[in-house]
Amino acid sequence: MPVVGDHAEIERRPKLGGGGPGKIPRRRGYGGGDDGDHDQPSEFYGRKQRLRTYHVGVALCIVCVTIVFIVLTVAYVFRQGMGRYDQTHARWIHDWKPLALPYLQLLINSLVLVLSSITLETARRSMAQKTEFAAMGIVPPRLKTDFPWLGMTVLLGFAFLAGQLVVWNNLRSQGVFLHSNPSSSFFYMFTGLHAVHLAGGLIVLLYAACGSWMRRSRFESQRIAVEVTGWYWHFMGLLWFGIFALLHFAKG
Amino acid sequence: MPASSPISTAPVTRPFLRRYLFSTDHKMIGRQYFFLSLAAVLVGALLSLLMRIHLAWPHAKVPFVGEIKPENYLAFLTMHGTLMVFFVLSTVPQNGFGTFFLPLQLGASDMAFPRLNMAGFWTTLISFLILLLAFFVPGGASLAGWTQYAPLSALANAGPGQGVGTDLWLVSIGLFCLSSVLSAVNFITTTLKQRAPGMGFMRMPLTCWAWFVTAILSLLAFSVLTAAVIMLLMDRNAGTSFFVPGGLMVSGKAVVDHTGGSPLLWQHLFWFFGHPEVYIAVLPGMGVTSHLLSVFARKPVFGYKAMVGATIAIGALGFMVWGHHMFASGMDPYAGFAFSTLTTAIAVPSAIKTFNWVATLYGGRIRFTTPLLFSAGFVSLFITGGLTGPLLAQPALDVYLHDTYFVVAHFHLIMAMAGLFAVFAATYFWFPKMFGRMMNERLGRLHFWITLFGSYAIFMPMHLLGIAGHPRRYSDLTGVQYVTAMAPLQRFITLAAIVTIAGQAIFLVNLFWSMFRGTVAGANPWECTTLEWTLPSPAPAQGFSDHKPTVAHGPYEYSIPGAEQDFLMQDG
Repeated sequence: MPVVGDHAEIERRPKLGGGGPGKIPRRRGYGGGDDGDHDQPSEFYGRKQRLRTYHVGVALCIVCVTIVFIVLTVAYVFRQGMGRYDQTHARWIHDWKPLALPYLQLLINSLVLVLSSITLETARRSMAQKTEFAAMGIVPPRLKTDFPWLGMTVLLGFAFLAGQLVVWNNLRSQGVFLHSNPSSSFFYMFTGLHAVHLAGGLIVLLYAACGSWMRRSRFESQRIAVEVTGWYWHFMGLLWFGIFALLHFAKG
Repeated sequence: MPASSPISTAPVTRPFLRRYLFSTDHKMIGRQYFFLSLAAVLVGALLSLLMRIHLAWPHAKVPFVGEIKPENYLAFLTMHGTLMVFFVLSTVPQNGFGTFFLPLQLGASDMAFPRLNMAGFWTTLISFLILLLAFFVPGGASLAGWTQYAPLSALANAGPGQGVGTDLWLVSIGLFCLSSVLSAVNFITTTLKQRAPGMGFMRMPLTCWAWFVTAILSLLAFSVLTAAVIMLLMDRNAGTSFFVPGGLMVSGKAVVDHTGGSPLLWQHLFWFFGHPEVYIAVLPGMGVTSHLLSVFARKPVFGYKAMVGATIAIGALGFMVWGHHMFASGMDPYAGFAFSTLTTAIAVPSAIKTFNWVATLYGGRIRFTTPLLFSAGFVSLFITGGLTGPLLAQPALDVYLHDTYFVVAHFHLIMAMAGLFAVFAATYFWFPKMFGRMMNERLGRLHFWITLFGSYAIFMPMHLLGIAGHPRRYSDLTGVQYVTAMAPLQRFITLAAIVTIAGQAIFLVNLFWSMFRGTVAGANPWECTTLEWTLPSPAPAQGFSDHKPTVAHGPYEYSIPGAEQDFLMQDG
């Protein structure tokens, strides 16, 4: 009888499950599932969970938008250094003409965007406060909460877009069009795409702002819209300053 | 499955439109993607058939089309590539099966954002219709290939299909990018936030890992293509010159309204998307293959952690190798060397995967079902197609083989055929869960053997054509002497293609016959461990929303010593 063999048999029992630890300790937040071992009321817990899910979603969208602008930036730097081949003289020429930016208007627009970020953050905080008060069964004090911060943000958002239109008109009146020079092409592409993305956020905010007057019952989804668009909106502000810095410091 | 699980089988009643058309149920959306891809693959296969007939008999009159003119040939080429790459290989493995089975395998009640999911499908459908519309506009479809190289794609007067046809192509692909990004956001969020309690990352089935990594690739790669497509649309319609070089002559006339840009920039941007795209097409297939080989060998998958690591490594390396598509475009030799080395490095995780697949089968009690056959076929085609990869990664060799049939053979075997085999495997495997009935095994096996031999008969000879220097993309090379000598081989390939494509009728008949007349399937006909098989077949609309499973085991617990059943359900 091979006694040793028996031992070996026990030692070499195949591990089950093809990898991974056999037993995973249970802990809160495993994949967002409701583990049933928390103390808070489940409605509150579910709401938090939902908000976190939306935050992951919007963070991923921010990644996408960042990539679009990275591509443009790479192309911008690449094109600036490239020049073009002039066939009549058979040589490479530097054809990048630096753009005279309308700084005053651009700075005003930047200020508007910063203000809108602040009002949106205030709106978000007052809404979060309202929710917490509601969860505790307290009628919220009517101090900050009633000022239409959200409406303010929407107005400032539109003001920024209008300001960008002024910038474009300003450049066009100087004869700088989309196709005039590579530098102007990139300028319009950067500002245009930024405006389009900002308008997307504006639509969600508009929904939240109008919804809060029309249907009181859908406060929760408005709150999520504001929370989530908050991240996006602040990102749009940062992106704007990134673009502004690029256009200023890397004029060519 | 514990008998106490309260699964209600009463159907959730929703109005017809909400249930079948504008459904937010991931299972219905998965089926919608499946049928969308089926339509796309039929059109794409028909186009390849037309091209093959033209290559074998250049002056043949084809019914409904007439004699195929060069511009028709190039339009077919473009549309075949676009349909197959975008609407078949990027759509059905990820958005079709992934949308259906990711939440089920994770034990989630639905995707994280159901309405976004629906929006993604409708955007894809609209972009599909816009793409097909290009056949019916003046000038026909675009001629620039699925890569749409500038300046051919940037100038409306560069060819018959370069006007409206190319604009439609760009709009369609722009929308497709949008929908892919939307569904990638959904896939990643679902995987991160919606897993059932106990479903740790290392307990996810390898299919879920593949969908997760693919979604990350989609998110990053399609964003780049979106930006590039917008810039190309601006070049065409707003007078910018991002991709149009200065001093260009088209049909003897100088292009004066463009100031000078770089066609190379387009190639870089396109392939920065295009190479990850290859992995977007094939990674879900790898996941399905790993999963199925384990199920039908009745063994735990060999090297689960190594498989996960290899999936991530392939995804990461996939972003660093785009330059190997551009060796012939001109490149700094040092850059070429870097791209070449990194490309060859992908052979390492690929070899790990291949080794683990074979090791999973080794010593298993293999059940030779149709899904197993197709998974094994995937491994076979992946090796055959993969072996030519390191060859093409050598700049010196690639400059010779570039734009020959050798490349056509390489990418069709590894991406198209392997990807398609994984789709077939997944269809035969998950059909009971999707439609409640089994597919016919005998027809399935017949379909497998025809397709396997057919694929090799079509694409193996193309290696020879390529080595002999037969260039691709030309519609007619009748006058060229050294190419004329290869005409018999071209004719053989065409015959093989006709037989193989005709053989797919067996699949179609099997699919639709089984949908209505097949044997009714039980909840777990293949004796699998993963969560989707705890639900009745077909998966009811409410899914896991009325009871959340708790996961206690890994995904591949087969052949447990001393147990009465040879498998252990994940929630059991």
